Amino acid sequence: MSPTEKREVAFTFNGETFAGAEGQSIAAALMARGVRELRKTRFDEEPRLIFCGIGICFDCVVVVDGVANQRACLVEIREGAKIESQK
Amino acid sequence: MIAIIGAGPAGLAAANVVAESGAQAIVLDSAPRPGGQYWRHRDGVQGYKSYRAHGYFDSIMSSRNITYIHGAQVWSAVRNEGSITLNFIHEGVEKSITIEKLILTTGAYDRSIPFTGWELPGSMTPGAAQALLKGHGVVAGKKILVSGTGPFLLPVAVGLAEAGADVLGIVEAHSPLRWIRSPLALILNPQKALELFYYLRKIRKYSLNVSFGRAVIAFNGSTATLSKVKGNLEVKGQVTQIECDVVATGWGFNPDATLGGILGCLQKVDRDGSVIFSVDKNQLSSVENIWIAGEATGIGGADLALAEGELAARSVLNIPIPIRLRLKRLRLQLFATALQRSYPVGNGWQSWIKPETKICRCEEVSHGEICQSVSELSAQDSRTSKLFTRAGMGLCQGRVCSRNVSEIISQESGCSVSDQERISYSNRPIAAPISLGLLADGITGQ
Repeated sequence: MSPTEKREVAFTFNGETFAGAEGQSIAAALMARGVRELRKTRFDEEPRLIFCGIGICFDCVVVVDGVANQRACLVEIREGAKIESQK
Repeated sequence: MIAIIGAGPAGLAAANVVAESGAQAIVLDSAPRPGGQYWRHRDGVQGYKSYRAHGYFDSIMSSRNITYIHGAQVWSAVRNEGSITLNFIHEGVEKSITIEKLILTTGAYDRSIPFTGWELPGSMTPGAAQALLKGHGVVAGKKILVSGTGPFLLPVAVGLAEAGADVLGIVEAHSPLRWIRSPLALILNPQKALELFYYLRKIRKYSLNVSFGRAVIAFNGSTATLSKVKGNLEVKGQVTQIECDVVATGWGFNPDATLGGILGCLQKVDRDGSVIFSVDKNQLSSVENIWIAGEATGIGGADLALAEGELAARSVLNIPIPIRLRLKRLRLQLFATALQRSYPVGNGWQSWIKPETKICRCEEVSHGEICQSVSELSAQDSRTSKLFTRAGMGLCQGRVCSRNVSEIISQESGCSVSDQERISYSNRPIAAPISLGLLADGITGQ
């Protein structure tokens, strides 16, 4: 295995199974698979993806294994993690 | 014990001095890997170009004098008699350390200016596109437009093009001729010209289209609307549209002043309107035993941050500071001032805002609602408007919108934004979110 090859990590997002490279953030792994919406906003129900990408803006918050307000741009994917859009 | 918060260029340079001196320091950084935003990288990825960075990484990881704790989010700090207590979240638990001397290197984040549709998927900061690429190996979209102002747009666009993205162009709001006003900064910093030359070669290699005097004024998820703009960013017409799925837009940087603010370090308003810390010639803040280096003392880039970090650590350890280092900092400070002069963010951006344009992303507050709080409810500052509209009250604690909200209210009310208001909206009582459960559990680690 070359140093650039990473172990694949499988997780679910809103019930659908996804895979990403170990060490990738939730947002990066999902965007690499073409996901363009992490959640809908509370008031206008508009789609949101990532914005600042470094944990400042909290636009990408998701629910990870039942814990809300997790920043998808920072939290790394874990095998078997259950990720859901935040309402 | 000495603590360094942040492992970007300034923090690493400081840690390096400590490691070589034989003193002991603890480095707390929120990221999983050292390097900060500038030297963000992935494990095991080949071709990472900075030898300088690797020297610093090795220094903090292999030195027995340095305890490097990554993934540590410092959420609060308390000054005691003769010591400072830092509370941080690490591996899901709240921990705490008490130290005698502190070097704060908290860095900066992209400054954003709203436009209609900036909240939609695909609109992001250049920093986000860069972090996705350098940190995770993911290209943000298929057709990418990089826009805003400042030299940071160049590495972002070139990096994306190198990774195989279809970069439609770099849209720079200002004319490069503005640099004529800063001849001394250019003459004293020839290495910056080399850097520019490097990017120009890459721009040619990837046939990137660079336009000046234009800005993205709207985005609908698949099309960006561009307009010519004046030097103060006021819209000048000649609107064009470009099909793209990503617009990476940035207007310079906001220093992260939160932790120093919590510790009571004196702040001031920089000439570009950003809030920075007042430090003396040795990077010492107004508070005894707290030094501050890097972007939090004025946006100036990685080279200046390195010089400031080294200088701060030497001052902490009472190691002589060579005149060469002071001169280097001065020369880079001159360059930082030239950057502010060359890439100013004038108030003219408000000319592309529509009543329905979202200003506060978290609480989904529109420009119309903020104006209403001024015209009908007599708000004259961002704090009052916040109470009426919730603008700046969301999860980001106003980090993204509060500066813009203040400027909108200033324009609507005719009252200029006071330094006091700028300092007030740049500070917040806690530096990172912490759950009540964690707080209730109490401190579990030392």
